Amino acid sequence: MRIYKKNEKKIFTKVNIMIYLMIVPGLILYYIFRYVTMPGIMIAFQEFTTGGFKYWCGFENFDKLFGLRAFWQAFRNTWVFIGLEYLLIRPAPIILALLLNEVRIMWFKKTVQTVSTLPSFLTWVVVSGIFIQLLSPSTGYVNVIIALLGGERIYFLGKPQLFPWLLTGMRIWKGVGYSSIIYLASLGGVDPELYEAAVIDGASRWQQTMYITLPGIKNTIVVLLIFSFSGIMGGLFEPVFTLTDGNSLLDETAMVLDVYIYNTGIRQGKFSMSTTTGLFNSIISTVLMLSANWASKYLTEDGRTII
Amino acid sequence: MLKRSLGEKIFNIFNLLGMFLFTLIIVIPVLFVFRNSFELSETATATLRLWPEDFSLVFYGMVIKDETVYRPLMNSVFVTVVGTPLTLLINALGAYTMSKRELPGKDFFAYYMVIIPMLIGGGTIPGFLLMRALGLIDSLWALIIPSLASGWNMTLLRNYYWSIPNELTESARIDGASEMTIFAKIILPLSKPVLSALGLLSGLGFWNIFYAAMIYIRTPSKWTFPVKIRETVMKNEGNDKLWEEMMVAAGFDPSELLINQSGLGGAMMVVSMLPVLIVYPFLQKYFAGGIMVGSVKG
Repeated sequence: MRIYKKNEKKIFTKVNIMIYLMIVPGLILYYIFRYVTMPGIMIAFQEFTTGGFKYWCGFENFDKLFGLRAFWQAFRNTWVFIGLEYLLIRPAPIILALLLNEVRIMWFKKTVQTVSTLPSFLTWVVVSGIFIQLLSPSTGYVNVIIALLGGERIYFLGKPQLFPWLLTGMRIWKGVGYSSIIYLASLGGVDPELYEAAVIDGASRWQQTMYITLPGIKNTIVVLLIFSFSGIMGGLFEPVFTLTDGNSLLDETAMVLDVYIYNTGIRQGKFSMSTTTGLFNSIISTVLMLSANWASKYLTEDGRTII
Repeated sequence: MLKRSLGEKIFNIFNLLGMFLFTLIIVIPVLFVFRNSFELSETATATLRLWPEDFSLVFYGMVIKDETVYRPLMNSVFVTVVGTPLTLLINALGAYTMSKRELPGKDFFAYYMVIIPMLIGGGTIPGFLLMRALGLIDSLWALIIPSLASGWNMTLLRNYYWSIPNELTESARIDGASEMTIFAKIILPLSKPVLSALGLLSGLGFWNIFYAAMIYIRTPSKWTFPVKIRETVMKNEGNDKLWEEMMVAAGFDPSELLINQSGLGGAMMVVSMLPVLIVYPFLQKYFAGGIMVGSVKG
């Protein structure tokens, strides 16, 4: 008996090594590109130029950063975009899914879905390019229509006060179809018997939506909302950068922390300031994410958490 | 048959109209860029027509002939063609290790590859310094290697492996097959749907790479296609002098014909969209089958 057990263990050890080896390439890549760079955060507490490390300076970089008007401008704008995201961009796919769910003509529903999902696979460079051409003052569609109606041509992308709204519109254009997939899938999971019972009780379509459909997908909405906090401060570099191209006229409303980090670090070579901004940024994200993780235990039906 | 109230009928009509309008809003900007890419004359662009008046393939010719456009295009092709199979291989292998529930220390992988990197990261500058130390600045490999391994993709694949019946692998194990054989002969062929979906998505990721190229690539001849597109769309709009030089180089007399300045940018965007349009029906199939829903759910 004992010998048999020993042999069994031996066989498993041999197999194990092979299984462990299979993940080694992944582990090495993660080690080099995620872990080796982690101590690099300390650059935020150093005087570090393009030439390399100079000296430790404690919290001096933070003092300097918090004294900069440009930083606070980027900070404020980032939060304006986050606000618009939660007010307009995230509810949009829920509304689209609810409306599509009411469409009874199947081929039409499918066509709308197919078409609206496509832009999410395009790079932001192309999406911005499309809208730069579409909004062009001389030949863009929008201005051609304005001119036909006898209005004054507008240089849309040159107006700082319009920028947050244009960007929000483009983000909805790009993402609404893709994001609605999961809500539509979740709508399909609502028990049809509930609707039948409601119809017998004389509930209107609006009442069905309010009392059956929305509660039915509430858990999906909450889970996706909580998960969204993990990337809350990011994702703005590509849309903003590809639309503005360092056009400082737009900085007032368009400069966000992601672009600020790139400009100070890569363009101007101020490594310390860039890393300090990045650290500040990720501290906020991490705190938000951990709070969301804590909250999700109580808000979701199955007590699901991110971590 | 259910009786529909008047209110519901009106709602249905407006809903259909609304959805139709929404579809137009998605489609027309794309069609507009297609038209721009085929339209030769500047004077013909200021209309609502969706087809070109002065049809021409000259801008597509420029994409192929102009070295400064063609090279970035080929760089993006290289990054995509090399990066995608490597990504699949590394993640499919790693996911197999993660799928072994009885493996000692298997929790470590989730912490190491998903949770800790999510909480702490070096950021842009430490990443740049690492690449400089590795001598990868201005190298296309800097765009490929860092994104090859992905804990999220491994988790997704692992979940799929779990759905494969144990009996299949057990019988092979009894027959004396090694783990590598089981992986290559049983797991991989059965995971084709999820591997195809992941391959298409990571392929598009490589094709669309932009941020990493903005950080690690300095020389224009090493740019990826999106970087070049951005430069063209931004710089050509309104820069008449540069445009004239380009047109003369392409064999046109700028004084005779007012040439559509958004044409080259348009043609480049269409070229960039083509792979997306080609793989899109396949992606749709996988989404409809619910394979990738798990990836959205996280």
